[in-house]
Formats: sequence, structure tokens, C-alpha cells
Amino acid sequence: MNDMRLFERAATVDEVKIRAKDVNVHYGIAHALKDVSVDIGDRLVTAFIGPSGCGKSTFLRCLNRMNDTIAAARVTGAIELDGQDIYDRRVDPVQLRAKVGMVFQKPNPFPKSIYENVAYGPRIHGLARTRAELDEIVEKALRRAALWNEAKDRLQSPGTGLSGGQQQRLCIARAIATEPEVLLMDEPASALDPIATAQIEELIDELRQTYSVVIVTHSMQQAARVSQRTAFFHLGHLVEYGETGDIFTNPRDPRTESYISGRIG
Amino acid sequence: MSPGWLFLLVLLIAAAGYVLGRSRALSATGGSLRTMHSLPGAYGWNVAMAVLIPSLLILAVWTLVAPAVLGRLVTPMMAGQEGNLSLLMSDVRRVADGLLLLGEDPASITTEGLRDRLAEAGVALGQDVSNATLAAAARYDVLGAWSHWLLTILVLSVALGAAALAVRRTTPTLRARNEVERGIRGLLIAAALVAIATTVGIVLALIFNTIKFFQIYPASEFFFGTTWTPSFGGGSELGILPLVWGTLYISTIALFVAVPLGLLSAVYLSEYASSRVRAWAKPMLEVLAGIPSIVYGLFALLTVGPALMLVFGDGGLGWMQGGTAVITAGLVMGIMLIPFVSSLSDDIINAVPQAMRDGSLGLGATRSETIRQVVLPAALPGIMGAVLLAASRAIGETMIVVLGAGAAARLSLNPFEAMTTITAKIVSQLTGDQDFSSPEALVAFALAMSLFVVTLCLNIVALWIVRRYREQYE
Repeated sequence: MNDMRLFERAATVDEVKIRAKDVNVHYGIAHALKDVSVDIGDRLVTAFIGPSGCGKSTFLRCLNRMNDTIAAARVTGAIELDGQDIYDRRVDPVQLRAKVGMVFQKPNPFPKSIYENVAYGPRIHGLARTRAELDEIVEKALRRAALWNEAKDRLQSPGTGLSGGQQQRLCIARAIATEPEVLLMDEPASALDPIATAQIEELIDELRQTYSVVIVTHSMQQAARVSQRTAFFHLGHLVEYGETGDIFTNPRDPRTESYISGRIG
Repeated sequence: MSPGWLFLLVLLIAAAGYVLGRSRALSATGGSLRTMHSLPGAYGWNVAMAVLIPSLLILAVWTLVAPAVLGRLVTPMMAGQEGNLSLLMSDVRRVADGLLLLGEDPASITTEGLRDRLAEAGVALGQDVSNATLAAAARYDVLGAWSHWLLTILVLSVALGAAALAVRRTTPTLRARNEVERGIRGLLIAAALVAIATTVGIVLALIFNTIKFFQIYPASEFFFGTTWTPSFGGGSELGILPLVWGTLYISTIALFVAVPLGLLSAVYLSEYASSRVRAWAKPMLEVLAGIPSIVYGLFALLTVGPALMLVFGDGGLGWMQGGTAVITAGLVMGIMLIPFVSSLSDDIINAVPQAMRDGSLGLGATRSETIRQVVLPAALPGIMGAVLLAASRAIGETMIVVLGAGAAARLSLNPFEAMTTITAKIVSQLTGDQDFSSPEALVAFALAMSLFVVTLCLNIVALWIVRRYREQYE
């Protein structure tokens, strides 16, 4: 862990992008998330950490209503994106997911060409009117995902033929091609080797220029390296939330301290 | 001793061998399992296997070969008689069986009234028993008794000898477990061989009879003839083309019904239906697959045909002359194939990883966009395979065609006319008493062979597609 970097990167911009209040999630009779309230800043990387089953992925999936696809899941409480309640009946979850993109734990490129993978979102949302515009969007997304140099000569070959790290960057390119405002990442580097992980982390830091990024991670080093804010979840509760530097150097809650020093988890 | 009892006796010896082998292994080590190579049961099985394999093999081979050998030995006695030798020999066999049933001494029996007495015992004969037949039958029985005794002695001595040898070989260091493992492998191979041998046998029978057919009927007329007018009096025209056309036409209509309906219901079941709906809808759909095709045939004949007549018949549009038509059979066959397509496609769609759907939904795609653009393309090879398998079933379907499509072999584009298929004609060529040396009967084998080749090709292509594209999303 590079402690020096923690203090340099205190948050400078402080607009709230997502505000969650008293969010509870039940899966059938299991109470997965209990009274979670959190403000997620714009143009910041917010990390959710905590032991397995603590509810951090569940909470992440609430932010773009992916839990709607699970029949047994029930969400209560309020989550606002730019002041608009996303669980309001007037909000179309499909529209919401175009604004709040998501990258999953395991790279999941579609069984299509690299180009088609990236063009998928822009196509369904009608973001490009001509082929040239679409080409431009695809190139821009691939460049931002640091995949352009590797992929530009093989745009028509299948996305599944890339290496694991490249596939995950392809998924990130696919997510940013729809120009979301928030990017949710569910353990994006857990299936990757250290070099690919480093590339993804570098990429996340870049994306912070334009997006609000929320990342769930098992690796505390990763949270410390890439995030400005950190939330620690434990047994469905949000235990502590604050500046990443504070959480790692000066945790207020004894549970947080035990977790980051490796005693629980 | 009859083979059945002999078989039981061999089993008994094997069981005794098991007990002996097991206890010998145990007593040699004083009951300590640690100093034995294998568990006690393995030593027992080793002995049992040593008994079973050779004696059952002898039993099986002898039972299969003995009748042929006996027949050969008796045949010279009938050589001077009038009539077809193979028919005479089958009479001899029946009389021989009958004599055993009557239980009389063959030496003292006479031909007088023998036919009636045999008939009372349940052996019906086509003509009176001649002296030569009776003599041959008596000889057959004597030889048969000899053969039984020889078999009994041989099998029992082999079984007992093998048991003794195997028990003597049983020492604690014997690798009985490995022997048993080999035995199990042999058993599995034998089971597989039976299945393969049967298939090969069927194919060979088809090939030889087809060759026989082409020796008496020109192949070019069979494959390129456009008329199908078999007549057992001679002068038939046996062109396969009208039948091929009927088969393809009906199958195509069936697929046009089954593929869209089956696929859409599969998509509904796997992607939209709640688990409660799915829990009863899927079994309901699969019940359709369990209905025997003759029931569908009845349905075609009694319900669908008349219903179509109401609309397209003389009372309605006037396009249809009778209830049995290509369209009737095609529709009903399509209904029969729906569960076949839907249940296979459902499995294939379910095999598309959830991560694919999440990825698409997470980008803001709707459910139907996800299905059309991600799930179905990923599942397409499997679905193609399912469709081809359904096609090969449609081509091989018989009862629906017999009852629903009529019997006229015809080359026509009108779906409201009666036509027929290869399978239906195989049935009609072989129904009733046939002379199996006439081209009219033998053509059934050529038809069956053509059908077999077509469905085989379809299945191979289907499996190839499924396999070729399977790993795409793994």
C-alpha cells in the first residue's frame, strides 16, 4: 500500500451525484442490506469494501436497479440520482441503466465482434445516426478504455478471443460507449492477473475525469489505490464512510479497524 | 438340462465361489484387512467373475449355434424329398418340437393321425407328416438331447474348474480389486458392443436387401422416376421422386409450424415466465411430446382434416377435395414437433450465461432487445441443431402421414391435395403377405435406405453445428 498517495488525493470536487437514504434490501426472507444511507460524490471514485456477503454488491446493484431482474429481491428506501428518485414509478429502469452503466466481476463480452460489442449500447439507444458517427464513438470508447492500440487491427474478430484483461477493458469500453454519468464496477479486477489489474486501476483513475465511479472490491489495497471515498460494509450495515485516507489510517469504528488490519473478513 | 436351469446353476456356483473366495482371503490373514491388497468382497467377486465369464460365454454361443448345427446334421435325410428344402426343414423342426411336447418315444410313433395329435398339442402343420419328416424329426430330437447333455457337462465342468482355480489363486497379495475393475470395464464394453452391433446389423440388412433390389430393378429409374405405381402383378413403376417430394413438402410445413411456435414458447418459458408458470407450463408442453404419434394421426384424420374441409372444402373456398391432404398432415406434425423444438431450445437458451443478460441489461437494453441481440445469437447454433433434429423426426414420421395425408404418390405444389411420403409407402409395401423376391416388396428396403441416409446426414450436420459453435460463450 502506498500510503504517501493517500493524502495527496483528497477530494476536491464535492457535488453529490447519488444520495441514498435508509435503503433496505430483502431477498425473500433474508435481510441483505439494513438502513444504508450514503452520498456518492460526482467525479470521484467511491470504493465499497467489506467481507463477502456484507451487502456491498447488493447495494451497488440497487444503484442502477439491476436488482429488479431478481424476482425475490425487494428494495425499500430512497435513492436519488441528481435529486431524482430512481425508484419513482415514472422512472424507466431501462433509461436509468443507460445513465448508470455497469461493469461486472467476470468479463462478459457478447459473442460478437469487438466492434459490435462496443457499438451495442450506442445502437440500442440510437446515439449515432451514421456509420461514421458510430465508428467514431467506438474508437473513442476503445481509446478511453486503453484498448484501441491492441484492438484497432482486429475490430471484426470476436470479443471472446481477447485475453481476460483485454476482455474486461472491452466491457468498460462497452459501458462508456453509451456515455453514462455513473459507472458501477463490481469487483472489476478480481478475475485478472496483477498486470491487467494495474491497467484497469489506471483506467479507473482516468475515468474519474468525466464520471462518478463506484467500485466494489475485495482488495483493500485496490480501494486505497484508486478511491477518494471508501465505504465499509459489514453484515448488511454501512459501518463507516469517509475519505479513503481517513478510513485506512484513522478508522473510527473498531470493526473497520479489525477488517483493514486483517482480523475479520 | 435346459439352458435356463443351467444358467441358474452357474449363478449358484458363482455365488458359492464368492463366499469361498472371500472367506479364503479373510482366513489367510486372520481377518486383518490391513495386510490384504483388496477388500474381502473383491476376492469374492474375482472368483465369481472367473466362474461367470467363461461358462456364460459357452452357454450363449452354444445356444445360438446349436440349432443351426443340428439342422445341418439332419438336412441330408430330407435331400430326396420334393419341395422347397428350407420349408421342409422348418416342418421338421416343428414336428421335432411337437414330439417333445407329446412326450412319446420317437421310435414307436407312426405318422398316422400325427398331424391331428400335434394340432391338439398346439403345433399346427400345413400338411400331413411324411415318413421322412418323422424320421428326421426323431433324429433331430435325439441329437438335440445329446447336445443338451454335452452342453450341461461342458458348462458345469468349466464353471466348477474355474471356481476351483480361482479359489486356489486367492491369496492376500492377489490384486483382486484391479481384476474386478477390469471385469467391470469388460462388462461396459460388452454393453456398448451390443448396441453398436445391432446398429451395424440393421444397416447391413438394409444394404444387402437394397443391393438385391437394384439387381432386379434399375437404380436410375428408382432415383429419377417420377411415377409411383406399384402393382404386384408386375410392370410397376417405382420412382422415388414423388415420395421424396411428399416427404419434403409435409416436413417443411411441419417445420414452419413447429419452429416459430416452439422457439417463441421456449423464449417465453426461459426468459419471461415466472417460476410458478414455468413449473406447470413446461411439463404441460412436454406431455405433448409423450403422446404417441398414432394419436396425432387420429387427431389429423378426425378433427383437423374435417375442420380444414369446412374452410377450404366444397362448402367453403372449394380448394380441397378431401380431409386427407399435405396441409393436414403438415399442421398436425408441426404440433407434434412443438415440444421437441421448445424443450431443446429452452435448455439451450438457459445455457446462455446470466452474465450475458446482465451485461446487456446493464447497458440499458430492454428484455426483448437483450433476447434478440444477445441471447438468441449466442444460442443460435444450438437452436439450429434442435431444428435439424426436429426435421429428421419429421422426415421419419409415419402414422400422421398414413392417416392424415392420404396415400396418393403425387408431384404437385398444391398443399390441399393428398400426397404421401417415403415412410408411409414403406408401410404399404410391406403390409400383408409378401413375396420377398419381388421388386415391389424389396423396394421398401431401398426406400428405407434412402431415408436412413437422409436422416443420418441431417443428424450429423446438426451435431456438427452444435459442436462447432458450442464454445463461443465459454
